[in-house]
Amino acid sequence: MVTGRYVAGRVAQYALVLLLALILNFIIPRVAPGDPLEGIVGESGALLPVEEQRAIITRLGLDQPLTVQFGRYARGLIQGDLGYSYNKGQPVREVIGDRLPFTLLLLGPAAVLSAVLGVMLGMRAAWRRGSATDIGLLGLVLGLDALPPFFLGTMLLVGFAVRLDLFPVVSSIPVGIGLLSLEGLGELVHRLALPFATLTLSGLGPYFLLTRSSMLGTLGEDHVLMARAKGCPAKQVVYRHGLRPALLPVATLFGLSMGFILGGSVVVETVFSYPGLGRLTYDAVLARDFPMLQGVFLVFTIAVIGANLLADLTHPLLDPRVRSAR
Amino acid sequence: MTPLVGSPPIIEDSELAATSARRGTAQAVFRLIRGSRPGLAGLFILTLFGLAAIAAPVLAPYDPKDQVAAPFSSPGGDHLLGTNDIGQDILSELIFGARISLGVALLVATLATILAGIVGLIAGYFHGWVASGVMRFVDVVLVLPFLPLMLVVATVFGPGVRTQILVIGLLLWARPARVVRAATLAVRTAGHIEAAVWMGATAPYILRRHVLPRITPVIIAEFVRAANIAILIEAALAFLGLGDPVAKSWGTMLHYAQARAAFLTGAWLYWVLPAGLCITAVVLGFALLGFALEQGSDPRLRKRGWLGTA
Repeated sequence: MVTGRYVAGRVAQYALVLLLALILNFIIPRVAPGDPLEGIVGESGALLPVEEQRAIITRLGLDQPLTVQFGRYARGLIQGDLGYSYNKGQPVREVIGDRLPFTLLLLGPAAVLSAVLGVMLGMRAAWRRGSATDIGLLGLVLGLDALPPFFLGTMLLVGFAVRLDLFPVVSSIPVGIGLLSLEGLGELVHRLALPFATLTLSGLGPYFLLTRSSMLGTLGEDHVLMARAKGCPAKQVVYRHGLRPALLPVATLFGLSMGFILGGSVVVETVFSYPGLGRLTYDAVLARDFPMLQGVFLVFTIAVIGANLLADLTHPLLDPRVRSAR
Repeated sequence: MTPLVGSPPIIEDSELAATSARRGTAQAVFRLIRGSRPGLAGLFILTLFGLAAIAAPVLAPYDPKDQVAAPFSSPGGDHLLGTNDIGQDILSELIFGARISLGVALLVATLATILAGIVGLIAGYFHGWVASGVMRFVDVVLVLPFLPLMLVVATVFGPGVRTQILVIGLLLWARPARVVRAATLAVRTAGHIEAAVWMGATAPYILRRHVLPRITPVIIAEFVRAANIAILIEAALAFLGLGDPVAKSWGTMLHYAQARAAFLTGAWLYWVLPAGLCITAVVLGFALLGFALEQGSDPRLRKRGWLGTA
């Protein structure tokens, strides 16, 4: 099947991305200035007694040739070994496993909502091009886009948590929160609201701008003129003839912008002290905890690949040419 | 800027690409910006901050590295924006911060644009497996999550301005490279270039003489966009504590404000807000400029009126 071949091509490319990420993770600490042990074990590694350093070097095989080291590294990864965080005193995989659900909980809905909002607003702006709505939205989005996410987050925090006292200043999630009860869910939403709003607002700009310009393109095409001439209702023209073909680049953007949204989550989780991967990254940066940073980078890479695959799968749905093309 | 011989050309914006091949591209781009209100606004904002950065030693009341008052002083007569956690004047920090923030952004954008220009020109002009291999690599780099990778590299190589420039510049070139390649592909089939090939002109000559001038507006637009992204990424890296503690950018200032929980006290008003607004204003300036260039160079988006070229 043609769609199958299309998807296979994309998967091959993402395998290359993953390979590049692995190679970078392997090479970066080994070409870093200073003690190689420091790069692999973290800054605390250099503080250990000499015998213990030797023991770690032998155990990790750091005295072996690079090719042998890479083989060990790859074998470990396949078995799910992401290294050990001496800073946390725990395997990296365990720490990431604990934090990942929180980030997914915050990021997934925010990514989807910012895409939906951006597309809806962009569509409206394109349809009413040059109107007060269009210019107002354009100005608003350009302004929103210029706000660094951590600054937007801090301002929302100051306004709604510190001044108005509507939301908690620290968005940590209590361990015993009962998610099955209505009360527990309400509490969760209450605590997530501000970081969620920050991520959604700072993510929708690119969707708005791309949908707007992409739709301005399709609305100028002959098939739209034809649809209007034969008397299609305006709504149908906008959605079926204007928006659908305009969504192709938007779907690609969803995959590509996932990296930026993940980057945003690092700073936003830091501002709100939210116990996800982003805050973990910040702590790891402060502690120079390299194994942890590399583990997070790998997980983020896999997340971006997942989002890109999802975007690729929507392409045949949106564009019949992809379905029939060889 | 190329000197203009004779009377200035009357440029229709629709002829931007064609005209720029013969006359000064810089003039053509400037006309495009001058014809659009968002573009003018962007240019105005950036000029303002650029001048502040250049004149920092004259404008700033104190040396931002000196401890000039008690820490955490509220704004008062001698210190318009108060002092930070170690008693440095925040207003002076802010003015000198423009040098670091703008400097990093421009250097990074230059580095990324040069890389992108070389890769894009070569991949767009030549056919064959080298070109397609390069583009495959570009696509792979595009998918990598930038900020987490930058955090790994910047942490391993140690914080500082030099690391930042290198790390951001080496990752930012991929997207502009795609755009430059697409523009080169479009120009490649033009009649006069085919003619030059048949007359035996060498590839470097054609690229320099015929292709580069035609795609310069695209490269300038990509430079503006790269600077826009670079300043945001620099701010994010600095906010996370990877800035230079001695040469503080606006992001580094915000890092210390966050670390001292300035948002919990009244200090956010003079410690967080001004630095954040400065970043926002500069990013907005680049975005407006980029918007004007994009609107002017994409014929599908061109339309006379408030946002177009009047």
